[in-house]
Amino acid sequence: MSDVNLIILLSTISTGLILGSIFALVAVGVTIVYGSIWMPNAANGQFFVLAALLGWTMTVSWGIHPAIAALLVIGISVPLSYALEYVLVRRFYDVPNRNISYFVLSLGITQILTGIFSFTYGRWSDQFQLPPLVGGITFVGPLPVANNRLVVLALALAILASLFALLRYHRYGRAIRAVFQNRDAAALRGVNVKASYSLSFALGNAVIFAGGILFALAYSFDLTVAWTMSITAFAIMIIGGPGSVLGALIVGMVFGFTQAAVSTVASPTIAAFSYLGAMLLILLFKPSGLFAR
Amino acid sequence: MTTVAETKDPSPRSIGHGLPLACFAAVAFATPFLLSGNRYLAFVAGVTMIHILWASGMNLLYGYTGLMPLMFAGLAGISAYMVVGLTAAGWSFWLALPVGALAASIAGTILGLPSLRLKGFYFTLCSLVIQTVVTLAFVYFSGLTNGDTGISQIPLPSFAGTPLSGLAYDLVLAASAVIGVVILMVIVQSTLGRRLIAIREDDELAGMLGINVTGYKMIAFFIGSLFAGIGGALYAPYIGFISPRSFDVLISMNIWLMVAFGGRGTIWGPVIGAVLLAPLSFLLQEYYTVKDVLYGLLIIVVIVAMPGGIAGGFKRKRREAAAPVDVAASRRSVK
Repeated sequence: MSDVNLIILLSTISTGLILGSIFALVAVGVTIVYGSIWMPNAANGQFFVLAALLGWTMTVSWGIHPAIAALLVIGISVPLSYALEYVLVRRFYDVPNRNISYFVLSLGITQILTGIFSFTYGRWSDQFQLPPLVGGITFVGPLPVANNRLVVLALALAILASLFALLRYHRYGRAIRAVFQNRDAAALRGVNVKASYSLSFALGNAVIFAGGILFALAYSFDLTVAWTMSITAFAIMIIGGPGSVLGALIVGMVFGFTQAAVSTVASPTIAAFSYLGAMLLILLFKPSGLFAR
Repeated sequence: MTTVAETKDPSPRSIGHGLPLACFAAVAFATPFLLSGNRYLAFVAGVTMIHILWASGMNLLYGYTGLMPLMFAGLAGISAYMVVGLTAAGWSFWLALPVGALAASIAGTILGLPSLRLKGFYFTLCSLVIQTVVTLAFVYFSGLTNGDTGISQIPLPSFAGTPLSGLAYDLVLAASAVIGVVILMVIVQSTLGRRLIAIREDDELAGMLGINVTGYKMIAFFIGSLFAGIGGALYAPYIGFISPRSFDVLISMNIWLMVAFGGRGTIWGPVIGAVLLAPLSFLLQEYYTVKDVLYGLLIIVVIVAMPGGIAGGFKRKRREAAAPVDVAASRRSVK
């Protein structure tokens, strides 16, 4: 294998890993919310971009260190989620077939945020770039990789791992999963269902925000990322199985590699076509997804 | 399924609309003359007419058949691009219009096939994916569509050799809106309409009563997409410019909002919705992005406080909070 091909291969793998872990983060956030309160959050892409834009404001305009800015952004998501939950989401907890209402609701939120972004950030710049977390370059074989992206990758994987551990072993995680499986039985066993709903809504959004800020730290972005991310996260959730965290994780990684590989040989549009096609097939023939609980 | 007994059939309210129809037709045809002094307002009125046509088509699908297709604008786009392509190739507009509209209908019928398997949220998500694919295709096949740049300077169609004046084309648009509403009224009062309503209320029950659910859903998609296609074909030369952004998912949502905000499943609700909402983006002018915020807020208001829309009023809030009477394909609701 010649050096050039090896570099292309390695760069595809590294891009695939970073994109895959960020896709997985956002999809896990979406699937936690869908699995527990049955809300398909179409606004996930807008939340993702909101996190990235807040990070940009904090670092570029206010000069805060990116690491602190990232923590602040994720911190901000918690009161935001609770406010949103209190004002809008809570009203539908007892409505049967609430997923369609939630879906339209989140499309409304999407449209509001789209409008707000286009007359604020959209006027200031086309392309947004955050300062790196750390400087320097590491050589992986012949390929130079920015240390910054390696740190982002490590952070994304660490968040995914701790999320997995939280859901599996901690008692809050167990309560959330119990409500995933059977709301009535969990309530009978003493789980505070409403509290676990708002907790999972906040947790899911925090994970989406984390994905957004990490993406912004690794790559420059523009406002059109939002819709692509929304639909990608949905594709991952549907293929992986709605409510399945493991499915979102695996399919998210696969999508990251697909995106990286197809973008190298063809174009990002072809990659989008391919996973939207995969999503349609799954929707039609196995709507419970590949990793259904 | 207790909801079936409780849900009021909205059709009795929509029968006997002779007088409103006459008023609507009179206003629609008078507006171009009244506004002929002000080309800009006449233009806004013309765009509103196209939206009335679109909202009526969406109403047939969403209001009467109980399906929520978010690919509606994509279908209009298919027709618009086709008509622009054909007229550029030398076809007469009046020949290209039915061809483009028919293409949109056929596309809509095929793309509506998932509705046979998927219900509620899953169908809406599926249609959203289709809409996204269609938008991406408009961008990707730039040889036919000129990509993101769009096609500009589309001429107004000519009739008998002379190009139509703005006023004449406004009248064509008014006529299409009136005809669209009349067709919807005829459908709703016919056996077809009653069967579509039966499918909306409970498609399993409708199937057991001997209604061909598959066939009627396809018919609904064919007719609804025809509305989308005719609207798209008329839209392109009127605005003079089309791009993938003219037919993206936000436009689909806007048309849906006109139906839901006006009152789904009523003839005049969506017309009122279109009249109130369609001119907004033009009247706001340079603050047009405020429109997105406003539309988004209205979507939330409709979902939270007024599922019946303006025509349904606020009073049935509690009982109808469950919006579409559908059960998701793979999960049963937990009470």
